[in-house]
Amino acid sequence: MISISLILLVSLFFPGIILRTKSLTSGRLGPGLMQPVKDVVRLFRKGAVYSDTTSFIFRIAPTIYFSSVLMACLVIPMGQYRGLVSFDGDFVFFAYILALGKFFSIIAAMDTGSSFEGMGASREALYSMFAEPAFFILLGSFSLLTGFTSFYDIFNSLHLGSSITYTLGILAAFVLIMIAMIENSRMPVDDPKTHLELTMVHEVMILDNSGFDLGLIIYSGYLKFAMYGALIAGFFIGSLSPGWSVTAFLLIQLVFAATVGLIESFMARFRMNHNPQFILALSSVSFLIFLGVLLVLEKFV
Amino acid sequence: MTNVLLILLIITLLYVSIANRIITYVRVLALQGFILFGVTYLQLKDIETWNLVLIMLETIIFKAVAVPLFISYLIKRNRMTRETEPYLPHFVSLIIVTAIVVVTILLSNSIKDTHLDKIFFIVSLSTLFTGLYFIASRKKIITHVLGYLIIENGVFVLSLAVGNEMPNLVNLGIMLDVFASVLILGIFLNKIGDVFRDADVDQLSNLKDY
Repeated sequence: MISISLILLVSLFFPGIILRTKSLTSGRLGPGLMQPVKDVVRLFRKGAVYSDTTSFIFRIAPTIYFSSVLMACLVIPMGQYRGLVSFDGDFVFFAYILALGKFFSIIAAMDTGSSFEGMGASREALYSMFAEPAFFILLGSFSLLTGFTSFYDIFNSLHLGSSITYTLGILAAFVLIMIAMIENSRMPVDDPKTHLELTMVHEVMILDNSGFDLGLIIYSGYLKFAMYGALIAGFFIGSLSPGWSVTAFLLIQLVFAATVGLIESFMARFRMNHNPQFILALSSVSFLIFLGVLLVLEKFV
Repeated sequence: MTNVLLILLIITLLYVSIANRIITYVRVLALQGFILFGVTYLQLKDIETWNLVLIMLETIIFKAVAVPLFISYLIKRNRMTRETEPYLPHFVSLIIVTAIVVVTILLSNSIKDTHLDKIFFIVSLSTLFTGLYFIASRKKIITHVLGYLIIENGVFVLSLAVGNEMPNLVNLGIMLDVFASVLILGIFLNKIGDVFRDADVDQLSNLKDY
């Protein structure tokens, strides 16, 4: 219970912190911390406009997308506290419930019959597909290291002892930050600032959604950031006492948000044909984590 | 700590495989020099002090500073273009380098020898093969030289694995290094850089009798 409420709390401030970091690095003060959330609330108060050519899929897709992200948040533990749902193999559930949401937003984009949206959906599907092996090799290595298959057990039995386990933790944090950027369609692969015609990935996929539906999709993005932040925090706070773990959790989320802001400020978007190799490089790095785990377990020698 | 540095060495290989510019290769070579410096310091504990000082000076001066600086000077002097111009797309390069690492791990896992330090074996062998792959898949002569230097780093890692028992092997690795520096210095600076304006291997195949 405490983990889902913390994730929901963090998701309210996360986009504001990203925005503030970006503003500060470009020499402005920027809008208030709550401004992105206020924008979403404004969208929630509006009605939605539906095209005549769309079917019921287009209407339910944003809701399914949002609820899939919410369900994925349920399995994530926080320090000593279990998530609301926790069972063996729940990281597979986590990955595929997110994939279900993504599947629905993709077929909703196809449903509109617009060629723009189909193209955006196809690219988004491609990038998620490349990011999937990285996630599974990463989590698979950690379950090999600890001998458990649920997030709670993995994080709790992960004791950072020698220098090699610290390296594994840092590499895992790097891979997860990059996966979060890809899944949220942020800077190195996609640019959230350019609407419509420039990047043609996520923004063009949700072109037809308006009002309440658009608000749901945007808020799901914020929730996803908080969710991946909670995953990253899990690698480091598993063995802390409850009070410290909440502090560390919030601190790690803050650092994560600032990192995202810094990456967005100082990196240019990649050319479209450079994206697959960049995402595949993440899989290679996760593979090195696997090698490191084999080293720790002394499967060699 | 040694393991961390060696894993970092493999990550630099992955980075090189998707790098676009030659200058990135040179920077990665310098980074590899520093990594090898650290590995030398941590690994060679049982050899004579003067020999250790010699080896460490060699890694820091030749591998990390002199050769990269000299190559970047060469690139400027010969007005080479910045792109690496691979025959294959970077995406395929990345898959091939990853496959090389996987195959080396499988290969070394099948060896049942307790004397062998597996992580050194894996890292050196994959560095070696990756260097060979870079030589085979890049067009420019300067990238061939860089690939050769990567191979040499791999050989050096392997010699470090047995450095405590056989310090002479490490010294032989250093000899190879000095030899390579002379190679770049002599051949490249005087002949090829001046004859061919952009030092492209494709032009070498044009040489024939008229």
